[in-house]
Amino acid sequence: MLNLINHDTRVCDIVIGEPSTVTVLNRFGIKLGVGDKTVRRVCADHGINPDFLVTILNTFIHKDYFPEKILDGFSASEIVSYLSKTNAYYEHFQLPNIERHFQLLISRSVPQNNNLGLMLQFFHEVKQELMNRIADDRDKWFPELLSGSERHAQAACGDEDATIEDKIDDLISMMVMHLQGDYDANLGMAVLFSVVSLKNDILQNNRIRNRIMRPMHRAMSQQS
Amino acid sequence: MKRVVIFLSDQLQARGLQHLLLNGFNIKAHIVADASGVGQVGEIDALFTDAITLAANLRCFLPRQSRTIVLTPRPIEGDGSIAFLAYSSTDELIAKLSDMISSRRREQDAEGSMLSQREVEVLRLVVSGCINKEIADRLGISINTVLTHRKNITAKLGIKSVSGLSFYAMMNGIVAPQ
Repeated sequence: MLNLINHDTRVCDIVIGEPSTVTVLNRFGIKLGVGDKTVRRVCADHGINPDFLVTILNTFIHKDYFPEKILDGFSASEIVSYLSKTNAYYEHFQLPNIERHFQLLISRSVPQNNNLGLMLQFFHEVKQELMNRIADDRDKWFPELLSGSERHAQAACGDEDATIEDKIDDLISMMVMHLQGDYDANLGMAVLFSVVSLKNDILQNNRIRNRIMRPMHRAMSQQS
Repeated sequence: MKRVVIFLSDQLQARGLQHLLLNGFNIKAHIVADASGVGQVGEIDALFTDAITLAANLRCFLPRQSRTIVLTPRPIEGDGSIAFLAYSSTDELIAKLSDMISSRRREQDAEGSMLSQREVEVLRLVVSGCINKEIADRLGISINTVLTHRKNITAKLGIKSVSGLSFYAMMNGIVAPQ
């Protein structure tokens, strides 16, 4: 596990220590090939607030990290910009990537294996719920945060108390525990890895939503 | 029952039983002539024999007593470790074989499934949209028992959401695909 990141941490050490941070850095426009530059230097090169990047990375990596002085550290527009890019990554890369792998897996498996088709249907349901949440963020929550208006009531999600995260877990269990019949093993693994990657990214970004964005929104609502 | 063996002293009776199992129950049984033949078969689901063969080959049958079925013209009281199938006519034999095979097939289905029969019933009602109280009323059990079944279903299957359970039920033929 990486130590807490600060302005003097080398970006290469962050990515090597926790490769999933490459997606976070991409959302800030930082691409691979960072040399041995520190966070301070890379932020200066890209015009990024280093306090904000450090807070985002620590919240993303460390389960027990709770950022302090959120409102003093950075602006609502920075967090909305980051989470909008995160949503765009799900919408335009991760979800289509899973779907593409699923389609390929089905096309290369025996036609009698209807398990995979049913799993793809379940994935479509999960995808639709995630797309609804993204639309809710874009149309309601983010504009409210930017305008400092009243706290947005989260849209109700799916059946009973199951969240999108629960359903992604269910999809993973279906693949790991209940997949039957003949299928292409390599493509099966590719689907599983892509779903697990989506789940981890969502869980890590939920910490950013819950520990940075919500407290910020609450504080701004109280101030206005 | 996939691996069924017939070890009888009367070869004509053995052939007759083999024919009956194949044509009446779609079970392909293997006839052996001695104890070493039983040992060569490996894992056995059911081993048919008679009282004389049983008594003469106890060392062969004792390790397999839970899977041994002794055909006998007279009822024999055992300690329950070996099944005795008494019959006085071919019709009675067929009827008793039918009951016994159905029962063993149900047991084997239950062993192969991750869920108990009751959990399958609860799952079927959950995915049909019933709330806990409706499930309790329909099955004649308490809501707490329903909750326990639901908790066990989720723990066994690793699936929490109702829609996830629905897809599991469709994948496993518990409900028809929509």
